[in-house]
Amino acid sequence: MHPNADVLQGTLDLLILKAASLDAMHGWGLSQRIRQISKGVLEVNQGSLYPALHRLVKRGLLEASWGTSENNRRARFYKVTAAGRKQLANETATWRLFSGAVDAVLATQS
Amino acid sequence: MAWKGLHRLRTLVRRDPDADLSDELRFHLDMEATALERDGMPPDRARQEARRRLGGFDRYTEELRDVRGGRWFDALRQDARYALRIARRFPAFTLIVVATLAVAIGACTAIFSVINSVLLQPLPFPQPEQIVTLTAQNPDRSNPRFSVSYADYLDWRRSTQSFSDIAVFVGTAPTLLGSDEPERLAGIAVSPNFFDMLGARAAKGRLFGAEDANGETSESVVLTDGFWRRRFAGDPNIVGQRLPFNGRARVVIGVLPASFALDGRPLDVVTVFAPSSIANVDSHGQHMLIALGRLKSSVTLAQAQQDLQAVAARLADTYPDIRGWSANVFRFSDELTRTVKNPLLVLMAAAGLVLLIGCINVANLLITRSAARGREVALRQALGASRWRLVSQLLVESTLLALVGGMLGVAVASLGTRLLLRLAPAGQLPTSIPIDARVLAFALAASLATALIVGIAPALRGTRTWLSQTLRDGGRTSAGSVNAPRLRRTLVVAEMSLALVLLICSTLVIQSLRRMLDIDPGFQASQVFTMRVAPSPQFTDTTLIAFYRQALEHIAARPGIQSVAAANSPPLRSSIKTPIRLIGRPASTEAILSSAIAITPGYFRTMNMRLLRGRDVAWNSPAPTLVVSQTAAKQFWGTDDPIGKHIAFGRRDTVGLEVVGIVADARTQGLIADPVPVIYMSYAGAVQIARSMVFVIRGNGDMSSIVAAAKAGLREVDRNTPVFNVQSVEAIVNASVAQPRLNTFLLGVFAAIALLLASLGIYGVVSYSVAQRTQEIGVRMALGARSADVFGLILREGAALALIGAMVGIAAASMATRLIQSWLFGIDRGDLMTFVLTSVGLIVVSLAASYVPARRAASVDPLLAMRGE
Repeated sequence: MHPNADVLQGTLDLLILKAASLDAMHGWGLSQRIRQISKGVLEVNQGSLYPALHRLVKRGLLEASWGTSENNRRARFYKVTAAGRKQLANETATWRLFSGAVDAVLATQS
Repeated sequence: MAWKGLHRLRTLVRRDPDADLSDELRFHLDMEATALERDGMPPDRARQEARRRLGGFDRYTEELRDVRGGRWFDALRQDARYALRIARRFPAFTLIVVATLAVAIGACTAIFSVINSVLLQPLPFPQPEQIVTLTAQNPDRSNPRFSVSYADYLDWRRSTQSFSDIAVFVGTAPTLLGSDEPERLAGIAVSPNFFDMLGARAAKGRLFGAEDANGETSESVVLTDGFWRRRFAGDPNIVGQRLPFNGRARVVIGVLPASFALDGRPLDVVTVFAPSSIANVDSHGQHMLIALGRLKSSVTLAQAQQDLQAVAARLADTYPDIRGWSANVFRFSDELTRTVKNPLLVLMAAAGLVLLIGCINVANLLITRSAARGREVALRQALGASRWRLVSQLLVESTLLALVGGMLGVAVASLGTRLLLRLAPAGQLPTSIPIDARVLAFALAASLATALIVGIAPALRGTRTWLSQTLRDGGRTSAGSVNAPRLRRTLVVAEMSLALVLLICSTLVIQSLRRMLDIDPGFQASQVFTMRVAPSPQFTDTTLIAFYRQALEHIAARPGIQSVAAANSPPLRSSIKTPIRLIGRPASTEAILSSAIAITPGYFRTMNMRLLRGRDVAWNSPAPTLVVSQTAAKQFWGTDDPIGKHIAFGRRDTVGLEVVGIVADARTQGLIADPVPVIYMSYAGAVQIARSMVFVIRGNGDMSSIVAAAKAGLREVDRNTPVFNVQSVEAIVNASVAQPRLNTFLLGVFAAIALLLASLGIYGVVSYSVAQRTQEIGVRMALGARSADVFGLILREGAALALIGAMVGIAAASMATRLIQSWLFGIDRGDLMTFVLTSVGLIVVSLAASYVPARRAASVDPLLAMRGE
């Protein structure tokens, strides 16, 4: 995979849920967290980050609240809800199944 | 730019999510910039980079709002901005559309504002729907709105059950002395319960009450707001002042509120009705008063009518004076608008047609343009814009155009109503026609309806494209335009036919007006002037006759005066009919009614009316004498010679007055009313009822010098007699057709606008067709067609549209003319000549409109045209 590849549509929600499941975090922090954990490979397109966050809030998978950031600024923090955790578990399983299958196909010798 | 946009958004929508959004994004930017700075980027570059990473802001916010469901607002804003850009890019198009809509919406709004102020304003009294007018009805039912006798009124009030109260009033014309020139006022005398019945309250002081119950002794007077302001400059201490009226001084007890209005006629003062002011007041046959009543809250109009008619029938059986008479109840508000309602609704319909034609024109322009924009639309569709999104965008465009047109339309309407007020005959319209909230709401509704009508067809059509084809064609002929010419032609045919309907109606009405003006009234109006004089009530019958005789002699002696006489009603304004009996004939079961006009000797000479036989009335005849009109002679006596016959006026009179002459018919009740039987009575016979007389003066010179001479002659006899209502007989003749003239003028204006719009429409469609067919024309010419052939080809296209339009229009007009039937005079509503000539006119105009594009087509250079392919 090309470094700094844009996150695939559909997987962005999964990554955000995962990143937000560790502890409550603001949008910028979530994007940094995803980049760090993926060792800089996955770069969240910041233009699609906030639409995704709001979408997830609207679907009840995340909840948002205003808090104070590490540098004492007012920031909006996102936290995974119970429904979000269930969704995360489901999606993780689906992704494992899907990527395992893709791996298997790619591993086939031609 | 992005942040500026965001701030604008925040000011537009005061909703927390937007403030939150802004804070959240600002925080994100700060964090990102700080992080980049930490990596060694200079601060300003870091901020720039952070913004770049956050991405294109417009698209971003739209997506975000999409998520939150706030997208429509953003889309709307974007559409509006886009529409404004388009409007700026095609100023000529925008100008034409907005101007068309402004005129069309303005015409509708103007007529509506008249309807609003005339038909839709409630009477200024509580429960106005309960207020009714009670009228008598003569035995032959020719006039269901006869005035009411005082005796009838008393009996009705006593015997009916349906009314919480009934009151009466009668017009008066008191003279107010006390300043340089005596002023003749417009007044009414009312029964003491009048204001209580209406539920009117005084703005100052009080209105009539128990202490004013006796009209014979009452010295109270109530002023209207307008008169109080005009004559007394709104003096706050007016209540309690004594005013020197001619005959009796009166004390001001109160002032009516400015909102008080009765029947639209001018009104200065209100006094209490004194029954003794009417001769023979006890007779049920003395029809002099107007009766108003208030229905009890549970009573319907029909029940009240039944109740009153039962009472009236009993009275008619009891009193021989009113044998066969009946009575009616009408809702007062309906009565007030009876004569103007139909013309207003017809004019509203005409204005509506103009708006429809305007809409069709604009729709056509939009269709043409949306076809030209086919490629842009296809591209946006390819990029993922939904069809609804594109339709809504085009609708937003047409709405903006219509709203701007509507706003200008209100300005047009405001100018139009001002013009209308100046043209309208006095008393027909209120003194001011305000543009109030209801009118504005109407204009808004009309604009929005217009937007939908003009926008929906082009929007749906313009967005129904087959992508690949349009893009491949290079957008020259979008698929949407395959059917567009047919739609456009249909629309043009429709507007041609609508225009023809208006054209035919207005032509019929114009010819009617011309015929009215061509009528010979039976007298010669030019160089005759009238003025009314109101001598003091202190004259006795004998001294009053002497006064008039002397005054006329003094005026006649003045230089410049050819002839002068007096009558109790001005020319064309006589409406009173009196029951008569023909002496020596068996009494008919039903009373004969005839117009009766009191005149002085010389009246016929002054008016230039032909005395056919016998002689004029004279001052010194021993008894009053009569001259009858030709129609009266024929109707009353057939072939017998009327001269020497006698006519009686009172029921007990057995001798009657002698007929001494026959005069040629003259119109007395209006220019277009056919001559009715008229009895001219020498003044001595009518002095009891005709105190105030109208002088008719024929002279050389202009009106002011003749009237000045007449006034000087009058003052030699009596200094205190007020003179008023000075006007030329020509002005009276003109006023008699003022209403038809106004209707004709408005209908004519609407028809002219319609014709102009329709010819613009045909011009637009034909030119567009020429533009589309340039290549085809080039090919034709290359293959040997001559310029003249091409010219004819295009001209025929326009002519064909007009021809179909004319046929549809003729069919529609043959039905629509029913609406103006009552406006027509001396012309059939299906008048063949009118239909043929207007249709030919319409076709000629369309040919003229097609001429320019046809010339353009004929001058196409085949080489250039084909290279364009």
